[in-house]
Amino acid sequence: MTETQVPPTPVNGREERGESLPARVLRVALTERVVLLAVLLVVVVVWFRVLGDGGYLVAPYDVRYLGNALESMVPFALLAMAELFVIVSGRGGIDLSVGAIVSLAGMVFGLTVGVWGWPLVPSVVACIAVGALLGAVNGALVAYLRFPALIATLATYYAYSSIALVSNANAPISTPPVVALHGLTRNVDLPLLPPVPLHVFTILLPCAVLAWVLLSRSTYGRSLYAVGTNDVAAGYATQRVTRTRFSAYVISGLLSGVVALVTVAQFASARPDAGTVGNGMALPAITVAVLGGVAIQGGIGRVGGVLVAALLVTWLNAGMLLAFEGSEGSRYQLLALGLVLVLSALLNTLALRRYGRLS
Amino acid sequence: MSHSSPHVLLELRGVQKRYGGVRALRGADFEVLAGEVHALVGENGAGKSTLIKIVSGAEVADEGTVEVDGVPLAGGSTQAAMAAGIATVYQEPHLFGELTVAENVFLGRELRAGGRVDWTAQRTRVGELLAQIGLDPEIGDVRVADLPVAEQQLVSIAKAFAHSAKVLILDEPSAILTDREIEVLFGVVRNLRAAGVGIVYISHRLDELAHISDRVTVMRDGAVVATRPTRELSVRQVAELMVGHELSTRATDRAVPAGDPVLDVAGLGRTGAFEGLDLQVRPAEVVALYGLVGSGTSPIARALYGITPADTGAVRVDGREVRLRSPQDAAAAGIAMLPGDRKQQGVFANKSIAFNISSAHLRHLARLGFWFDRAKERSIALDFLKRIAIKAPSPDTVVGALSGGNQQKVVLARQLVRAPRVLLLEEPTQGVDVGAKEEIHRLVLELADGGSAVLVISTDLPEVLQIADRVLVVRRGAVVREFGRGASQADVLAAAAGDDGGAPAVVGARADGGDR
Amino acid sequence: MTATATAPKQVRRRRRVRAIEGQELALIAVTGLLWVVLSVATDTFLTSGNIQNILFTVAPIALIGIGMTAVIVTAGIDVSVGSQAAVVMVVIALLVRDAGLAFVPALAVAIVSGLVLGAVNGLLVAYGGIHPIIVTFGTLNIYRFVALQIFGSEQVAGVPGTFSPIGGGAEGRLLGVPTAWWLTLVLAAGMWAYMRFWATGRHLYAVGGDALAARLAGVRVRRRQISAYVLTGACVGLAACVLIGSGGLVQQNVGSGLELRVIAAVVIGGTSIIGGRGTVLGTLLGALLVGTVTSAVTLLSWPSELTQLFIGLFILVAVGVDLLRERRRSTR
Repeated sequence: MTETQVPPTPVNGREERGESLPARVLRVALTERVVLLAVLLVVVVVWFRVLGDGGYLVAPYDVRYLGNALESMVPFALLAMAELFVIVSGRGGIDLSVGAIVSLAGMVFGLTVGVWGWPLVPSVVACIAVGALLGAVNGALVAYLRFPALIATLATYYAYSSIALVSNANAPISTPPVVALHGLTRNVDLPLLPPVPLHVFTILLPCAVLAWVLLSRSTYGRSLYAVGTNDVAAGYATQRVTRTRFSAYVISGLLSGVVALVTVAQFASARPDAGTVGNGMALPAITVAVLGGVAIQGGIGRVGGVLVAALLVTWLNAGMLLAFEGSEGSRYQLLALGLVLVLSALLNTLALRRYGRLS
Repeated sequence: MSHSSPHVLLELRGVQKRYGGVRALRGADFEVLAGEVHALVGENGAGKSTLIKIVSGAEVADEGTVEVDGVPLAGGSTQAAMAAGIATVYQEPHLFGELTVAENVFLGRELRAGGRVDWTAQRTRVGELLAQIGLDPEIGDVRVADLPVAEQQLVSIAKAFAHSAKVLILDEPSAILTDREIEVLFGVVRNLRAAGVGIVYISHRLDELAHISDRVTVMRDGAVVATRPTRELSVRQVAELMVGHELSTRATDRAVPAGDPVLDVAGLGRTGAFEGLDLQVRPAEVVALYGLVGSGTSPIARALYGITPADTGAVRVDGREVRLRSPQDAAAAGIAMLPGDRKQQGVFANKSIAFNISSAHLRHLARLGFWFDRAKERSIALDFLKRIAIKAPSPDTVVGALSGGNQQKVVLARQLVRAPRVLLLEEPTQGVDVGAKEEIHRLVLELADGGSAVLVISTDLPEVLQIADRVLVVRRGAVVREFGRGASQADVLAAAAGDDGGAPAVVGARADGGDR
Repeated sequence: MTATATAPKQVRRRRRVRAIEGQELALIAVTGLLWVVLSVATDTFLTSGNIQNILFTVAPIALIGIGMTAVIVTAGIDVSVGSQAAVVMVVIALLVRDAGLAFVPALAVAIVSGLVLGAVNGLLVAYGGIHPIIVTFGTLNIYRFVALQIFGSEQVAGVPGTFSPIGGGAEGRLLGVPTAWWLTLVLAAGMWAYMRFWATGRHLYAVGGDALAARLAGVRVRRRQISAYVLTGACVGLAACVLIGSGGLVQQNVGSGLELRVIAAVVIGGTSIIGGRGTVLGTLLGALLVGTVTSAVTLLSWPSELTQLFIGLFILVAVGVDLLRERRRSTR
C-alpha cells in the first residue's frame, strides 16, 4: 500500500532561498531542534534570574546553584541517550526497562564492591557488563525474536526490577566501601566557573562524546540511522538490520549500567528500587529524548539535541524548586514534564509534516 | 443478451489527467454497456490505472466527463463512486485479517437491525455470495487471516459485488489466482454479465481475454487506440495494437559481447517460485528477464541478491562459485541490486542524498575501521550530482523532496559507487519521467561498457528491447523463450502472455503465488 | 504439455471463530492448574476469604482492562490510567468526606471525571497526530500533577464508607462474591458483546488492523479511537470507586504503576499490542491469572517482589506464543 506513507511536502532549493525572514525563522526553529532548545534554555535562565531579582524565589538562582543542579542532570541525560539509541533503531523502538536495569546493575555493583569485597575496577566492569547483558536480552527479544519493543521491555522491566528487589531482600546496601564512592560526585572547583559535580566530567561528558562519535561520526551510526529510517531499504543496502537493531538495545543497557554506578555514588548506597521508585527513570528519559528531537518512528535524533534538552529540563526543574515552597515545586515539575513532552511531540509532527525533516 | 439499443452504464468522454509534467491521460473515451465484459489492456504506463482511479473516485480528472447511468460522477470521492454503483477490486486484497469473511464483506456498510449488526441477514447474504463464487458458504464465519491468499482474493471480489454494483472493475484479478480459481472467477463474471452488470476487466494476460471478454479496449500513451469486439482480434493483434508501430531507431548499437560469462547461473530454483533457471551474462552484456506480473521474475532477482535465497542450483561470478544467503554475500561477490520498489526498498526518504548514496558502502568509506569519512562521502555525492544530473542544490538535500526520477537516480548512484561486477536492475524506470529514463539507461550502458554484467528485470517491454542485448521471457517461473536483438515487441509480448505459436492458450496455467 | 498445473493441493482446516479462543483456553487451563496446585500445596488458598480477596483485588485491574482492551485493539495504548485513577480518587474522596456526597452521585461524578480525562487523551491521539504512548506518557504526568494539586500537601484521611457496597468488606458482597467482581463481570460481558456483535465494536478491530483501509471502507476512525479512550476513562472512574472501597486513607501515590499491571493483564489475555486483535474475556482471564500469582506468592511465603518476575515471564510467554502463531499463519 502506497498511501500509508505520506510523502513530505517537497522543499526545493529555490523555495529555501526565496523564503521570507519569518518563514525562515519558523523553519529553523522547527527543523533545527538544537537551536530552538538553546533559545528556550536562555529564556528559562533569564526568566528565573528576573524572578530571583524580583524576590520571588526562595533562594538565589545563581551560577553556583545552576552548577550544583547538574548533579541531577547526569542520570537523565545518560538514560535519554540510551533511549536515543533504541528509538532511532526504529520499528517502534523504546526501552521501558532502563530504570529496572539501573536498579539491578546497581545492586550487582553494591553486592560486588560492598558485600563480596571485590576491588573497585572489577566491580565497575561487572556492573556495566550486567547492564549490557540485560540490554542484550531486550535486544534479542526485539531484534531476533521480533517482540514489539514496548511489550518486551515492559516484561523485562518487571523481571529486572523484581530480581533487583529480591537480590538483597529488598534492603539497600550501604556498607563503607559503597559510601566511599560518594566522593565521585563531589563538586570540583574550576577556574572562572562555579563548582561542578565531578561526574559531569568523568562520566557524562566522556559518554556523550562517545555516543556522538558513534552516532554522528562512525559507520555504525550511519547503519543505525539507515535501519531506523527504513529497514527494508537498509537490508537492500547490505546493512545487517537485525544485528544493528540488537546492538542499540545493548548500548542502552550499557548506558543504564553506567547510570547505576552514578546513582549508587550519588545516594552513597545501592538501592534496590533506585531506578523504579515512583514513575521510574524510563519516563523522564523518554521525555527528554523526545524533547531533544528524537522522533518516535525511528531514524531521527541527535546527541546534541538530547543533551541540550536534558540541560533545559534540569535548569527548568531547578528553577521551579525555588519558585514554589515545599513539595509544590516537584509537583509543578510533573506538569512541566508532561506539557513539554506533548508539545515537543506536536512540534515534531508539525516539523515532519511541513518540512519532511527534523534534525 | 444484448438487444436493439444497448444501455450505456459508464461513459467517459475526453478525460485528461496530468501528473506534474507527465500526461497520464490525453483525452480518453471509454464506455461500458450493461451486460458486457469489457477488457482494458495496455502496456505499463499506458494510462489504464489512472483511468480506473478516476472512475473509482481516487483521483479527479483535469478535463472531461465521467457519467454513470447518464448521471455525472462527482470526482475525487470513493464514497460517491461507490454510491453511484461502481465497485472496484484491486490486485492486492484489501482485507482485515482478524475480521471474518462476512464482516469484511460488509465493513462500513453493515446490514443492521437497530445498532446491532443483523448477523443472520449478513450470513445469508454472504452464504449466497460465497456459493456464487464457488467458495464454501460456511466460511462466512472464518477469519480472513485463516484463509489462503487466493481465497482472500475471491473474498475481496465477493465484497465488491455484495452491494449490487452497476459497474464492477476488476484490476488484474487473476494475477494471484490458480487455474481452478480463475475458472470460478470467470463463472462469476459471466453470471454478473447475465444479470446486466457492466464489467471492466483489466489483465496483462492476453490469452484470457478471448475466454471472458466481449470487447477489448487497447490503450497506449494515455490514449485509447482501439475498441473492438474480442472475437475479431487474435492475441497477436492485440499485442501489436498495444505496442503500436515499432520504434524505428535503435537507441544504441553496441558491440556483441564476448568472453567468459561474468554471471553464470545453473539450475537455480526456489520452491513455489521458479525452477531450473540457466542464465549466462558475459562481460559488457545487458540481458533482460521479461515476464508479466506474477511470472516469477521478481523472486529470481531476490534470489540472486540473497534476499530470499534459492534452494537449488549454483551461481558463479567470474567463474567463482558464490553462496548467496544474504545481500552481504551478494555484495561480497560483486553483485549490486537496484530494488524494484523505490519507496519501500530503495530510498531513505528523510535523509540526504549523500546519506542515500553512501548507505551501501559504509565499510568502504571507513577509516581505521569505524570512523566515517564524511569528506569522501560528500565528494562522491558531489561527483554523482554532476555526472548524472540529479536536480538538487546540494548533496545535503533530503531525498524525499526530489521527484521520482531523481530519487531513482540517487538509488542507482548507490549501486554505481564501486562499479559492481554484476548489476541487477528491477523495474529500473518505473514511475520516472522520460528524461530520467534516458539518463538511467545511459548510466546502465556506461557501466556495461566498462565490462560489468547487467541483468534487467522488467515488465516494461519497450525498455527491455531498447537496452538489452538478449531478452529471456519468463513464464510460470521458467524461461520459455529467448530473443536476440531486434526482436519485435509483439513477438516478445505474445510469448510472455501465453501465445505458444498456434497452440491453444491454456487459461491460467502457470506457477501460482510467484511474486507474493 | 503447456497445461501442467502446478497448484499444490491446499490442505487446511477451516477455523471458524469460536466463542472461546485457543489463548483463552490456555489461560483457563493455566489458571485452573495453578488453583489445583495451590489448593493442595497450601491450606489457605482454597478458603472463601482468600478467593474473595483475589477477586476483589483483581476487580479494578480487570475493570480498567475492559477499556484498555478496546484501546489496544485500535493499536493504541493508555499509560495514564494510574494517574487518571489518582485524580478521580482524590476528587471523590474529598467529595464524600467533606461534602457528604452519597453513593450514586459520587459514582456518577467518578465516571464523568474519568470520561473527561479519557477524552483529552482520545482527542490528542485522534487529532494531534502524536503516537499514543507519547500522548499518554505526557498526560500521565499532567494528571498526576492535577491529582497532587487537589491533594494539596497532604493525604486524604478518614474517608467514610460510602463505597463499601462495592468495597472489600462483608457488606460489599453479593452471594458471597464481591460486588465489585459482579460489576466487572457485567461490564465485561457487555463489552464483549459490543466488540463482537455491534458494528461499531467490530470497527475497533478494523481501525487497529489498518486505519487507512478502514477509513476508505467508511469506518469513522477518529470517532472509534476517541470512544476507546473515553471508555477507558469511564472504567477508571468505576475502578477508582472500588479502590476507595470501604474508605479510610487515600494516599498521594495511589494508582502509580497501575497502568503497567493493567497492560500486563491485557497482553497476557492475548490482545496484540500491534492492534486488531484481542478480547475482553482474555483480559479478564489475564487479570485473574495475575491475581492468582500474586496471591500464590504471598501464600507460599515467597518474597512478594517475585510476583513481578512472574508477571514479566507471563507477558513474554503470552506474546511469544502469539508471535509463533502469527508466523505459522503467515507461512502457510
